[in-house]
Amino acid sequence: MSQPLARVDAFDKVMGAVQFGADRVPPGLAHGALAVATIGRGRVVRIDTSAAEAVPGVRLVLTPRDGGELASAGFVMAGGHGFQSLQPLTDDHVAYRGQPIALVVADTPHAAAEAAALVQAEYEAEPLSVDLDADGVEVLDQAAVIPAGFFPDVDVGDADAAFARSPVRVDSVFDCPPQHACPMELMAAVAEWNGDTLTVHEATQNANAVRFGLATQLGIDVERVRVLSPYAGGGFGNRNSLQAHTCLAAVAARRLGRPVKLVVPRSQMFHDASFRPASRHRVRLGATVDGRLQAAIHEVDQQTSRHDLFPANYVEMTSRLYGIPNFRGHQRLVRTDVQTPGYMRAPHEHPAAFAFECAIDELAYATGRDPVDLRLANDTGTDPVSGRPFSSRHLAACLRRGAERFGWANRTLEPGSMRLADGTLVGWGVAAGAYPGSAVPTVARLRADDDGTVSVQVGGHEMGQGIRTAIVETVVRDLGVAADSVRVDVGDTAAVPQHLTAGSWGTASALPAVHDALQELRRSLDLPPTGAVDLRAALAAIGRADIEVQAETRAPGQPPEAIDRLRRGAMAIAGPEFPTFTAFSFVAHFVEVRVEPTIHRIHVSRVVSVVDCGRVASPVTAASQVGGGVIWGIGACLREGSEVDPRYGGFLNADLAEYLIPVNADVPRIEVDFVDEPDPHLNALGVKGLGEVAMVGVAPAIANAVFHATGQRQRRLPIRLENVL
Amino acid sequence: MLTTRPFTYAAPTTIADAVALIDTGGPGTKFLAGGTTLYDLMKLGVETPAAVVDLGRIPELAIVDTTGDQLVIGAGARMCDVAEDPVLLHDYPALAESLSLAASQQLRTMATVGGNLLQRTRCAYFRAGAPFACNKRDPGSGCAAREGIDRVHAVLGVSDSCIATYAGDWAVALLAFDALVDVVGPGGERTLPVADLHREPGDTPQIEHTLAPNELIVRIRVPPTDTGRASTYLKIRDRESYAFALASAAVGLAVDGDVVRNARIALGGVATRPWRARAAEESLIDAPVTADTARRAGRIAFADARPGRHNGYKIELGARTVANALLIAAQRSVR
Ligand SMILES: Cc1cc2nc3c(=O)[nH]c(=O)nc-3n(C[C@H](O)[C@H](O)[C@H](O)COP(=O)(O)OP(=O)(O)OC[C@H]3O[C@@H](n4cnc5c(N)ncnc54)[C@H](O)[C@@H]3O)c2cc1C
Ligand code: SF4
Repeated sequence: MSQPLARVDAFDKVMGAVQFGADRVPPGLAHGALAVATIGRGRVVRIDTSAAEAVPGVRLVLTPRDGGELASAGFVMAGGHGFQSLQPLTDDHVAYRGQPIALVVADTPHAAAEAAALVQAEYEAEPLSVDLDADGVEVLDQAAVIPAGFFPDVDVGDADAAFARSPVRVDSVFDCPPQHACPMELMAAVAEWNGDTLTVHEATQNANAVRFGLATQLGIDVERVRVLSPYAGGGFGNRNSLQAHTCLAAVAARRLGRPVKLVVPRSQMFHDASFRPASRHRVRLGATVDGRLQAAIHEVDQQTSRHDLFPANYVEMTSRLYGIPNFRGHQRLVRTDVQTPGYMRAPHEHPAAFAFECAIDELAYATGRDPVDLRLANDTGTDPVSGRPFSSRHLAACLRRGAERFGWANRTLEPGSMRLADGTLVGWGVAAGAYPGSAVPTVARLRADDDGTVSVQVGGHEMGQGIRTAIVETVVRDLGVAADSVRVDVGDTAAVPQHLTAGSWGTASALPAVHDALQELRRSLDLPPTGAVDLRAALAAIGRADIEVQAETRAPGQPPEAIDRLRRGAMAIAGPEFPTFTAFSFVAHFVEVRVEPTIHRIHVSRVVSVVDCGRVASPVTAASQVGGGVIWGIGACLREGSEVDPRYGGFLNADLAEYLIPVNADVPRIEVDFVDEPDPHLNALGVKGLGEVAMVGVAPAIANAVFHATGQRQRRLPIRLENVL
Repeated sequence: MLTTRPFTYAAPTTIADAVALIDTGGPGTKFLAGGTTLYDLMKLGVETPAAVVDLGRIPELAIVDTTGDQLVIGAGARMCDVAEDPVLLHDYPALAESLSLAASQQLRTMATVGGNLLQRTRCAYFRAGAPFACNKRDPGSGCAAREGIDRVHAVLGVSDSCIATYAGDWAVALLAFDALVDVVGPGGERTLPVADLHREPGDTPQIEHTLAPNELIVRIRVPPTDTGRASTYLKIRDRESYAFALASAAVGLAVDGDVVRNARIALGGVATRPWRARAAEESLIDAPVTADTARRAGRIAFADARPGRHNGYKIELGARTVANALLIAAQRSVR
């Protein structure tokens, strides 16, 4: 195929033809709105809904009094399906500001919103602790509270002794704030009952969790629940699991005997869904005088909620980034009064890379070595933690090619040594990143019709990352059919099981299943394993109008039970350690910043990013993924932070005017390149994950560039004007 | 809280009708222009008018005439149109820039230059409603910002009851040029300097300006000035577009040979109202604009600043912003 395929849904999206969750308007639809707690912790002692009920058009008000109807879906990281174990409206307990305390349902969204604002609650407030340093937090050793084998600490060699012996040492502390993913599409569910069967339209990355979680919460057979999520307007981890509003819509719809839509407004989304938790990193590096790493100690404190333990997973990546013979990674969880935090694009890897790769830059300066050379000198082909080889690792190629394209050779090492004529300081920074390669069991069903149509049903969700395009591209490349003859059905639990799509395994799991189904199709049609196919002729030859085949794929080393887990709605994630190898994607980012002479505004003026994601499945959407990841990195480094007032809890800047994401003017030219070497082990197509690794390392590359420009180390995100003034 | 309470709506076509309607609409009736402040705050439950009088159908309010000695800009003119007025762009770049650097193109297309003057603060505690104490929203309840996250709050003109920043840009630039505001009420027309339009919070932060609720802004006038051409509006913010000022300076200069004959400096993003820095202006008279005199003027402008917990950086940032703006304006005086 000569031309890479454009996004298959681009036209429909531009024309508004794509149906997102809340676009569904079944007849008789009623609308919900949530009232939320205004205290940071405590109890609802009285709730007065009379004013709300008096608003014309209000049909139903649910409060904790109605809690009996609902069970918790359990926390997704503890065997359940919910973003947190706490299900609002089941009791009078308030765990954080912004927690829903009532649902109002009315004939119009306006009446519902108006009535929700009129719900009056009286509280008994308790003292609260919302940040890492607050009195009253509870600090836990993760290894002691999370079952062995999950998110373990890392202990290779004797890092403390090797650090103490090292002639060059770096010891720095880095702070990362809470952040919110803010996908454009608001959280929303449309719940419809047909007899005792429930259908939910909702943008999710995990239709399985929504389905199985709702069955648990509502006490009904899972066969009676269907979830459809053909498109999500961004996910970024925000939609990883069942959110708390969905079952409320379902309960209201069941009570009223009419479909109910519940759209959660932006300010409430800051509190009713997960967020990237605050984390603090102490990184110690020990090296020889010429910069060979001897030891690293990476210690992290990460925020979690009172009610759940969201696991920290920072050291999994940092322990693999270089060939460091002695590594100790230690992670603690800090219980605070918030909703349970969760995954957000490059969830742990972005903060981990910020800390670790800034420390590596400090080491480069401590040893007087060029930061690219220092990284190349510490590269490895072997996973230092497991001792097994990487499935593929082209980090050195990323660094070399990036340096070449960026013109790194022209950099002068001394901070503040590069300036423009008007006094503007120029800084060049580099950082590497990695992201674990994972895969999940996947079922794909393929149907060919004698009108030439190929229909694919596969486990996976389209969040704008382009999975539909990658699937169509795979079918087109394999069969030689036209792109517009391929239909793709993702995110529908009635078709095939829908495992969580996240962690950059979506495409890397769906495509191998589609590939296997294509092979199965060829076998069933008596066709050779490769080469263009005339489907009509092939079907005619076996005397059929259509044919349907199915394939199930598992990750390397995954037992057959993985498929059963998938069908039972459980998670079945393999990686990054596989029986014979360790899989990671890699990236190198090169960044130029300009710092104004007097006011010191930081402008990112140029980025070059080179990625090793195995074979590139869809060049157009892959480049777009990387560009998006870089923009996320710019936001995470220079703009974004969710503000917390410790007296009140919750998040203060809970809208898109005050939660500062980058705008176009903040985004420079981003040059993207791929190593494009197929991974020989992870799957038949040679693809590794891409969506998250793209963001990993952007923030430290910027911070390192700021150091190069100004001579000041910035160890706290976001880096704002007052920090460089 | 996100709410939409019912309200009544009227759309008169003459100024007289608009004033009559606001008088008969009952207490709390509000004029509505582009709605980018009013509807926003209504959805947040911060503004709760029982009735609104839409000014969008009154042709007279949209008249703009920049061809005469003084600029005449109807209150109903859209920000996006005024920002592109050729006379402003050429002869009053500070005015044009204060508009084009504000909000986003979408907002500027909706918003009017009259409504812009009366936009309200972005203090998050004010906007968010319960549970936050806010004297501006709920007089007497206290001020959550003073002991809270006051990073974007004011350092000039603050009081014990409120430290909210006046968020707009346009009024700051108008203030530098001694603009006038023509208003009409039931008793007829009156004119006031834009300098007399906004109030410091004192102990009544809920009263932000000096107009009566039934007074309508008809137009803004900018008298002739020798400081228009060599002027600039420099706005420093948290991102490179689409954000309110952390600090801004509207500066205009009249330079004779090497020395300053007339200087105008007004500050935004740092004060509770558009803020004129007269002492800083005077420090420049009969002196050349150099990096040193500019920096000194900047420092003088912030001599009375009163920092809070997290906004102390605004003093240095604001001083440098003034200094940079002066240097830009001085450069424009030699073109
Ligand atoms: C996300 C966002 C970002 C923004 N960024 C900026 C920025 O960077 N800089 C900036 O300066 N502004 C900014 N704004 C504010 C915006 O410019 C103002 O909301 C807008 O100018 C108000 O004009 P409007 O016509 O929409 O006024 P409206 O919202 O209709 O009215 C505002 C107020 O003025 C009153 N009013 C309107 N017209 C008259 C009149 N003729 N006589 C008497 N009273 C009247 C109304 O009753 C109301 O109280 C931003 C706004 C938003 C929402
Ligand atoms: S600064 Fe003013 S507007 Fe903000 S909380 Fe205090 S009183 Fe309210």
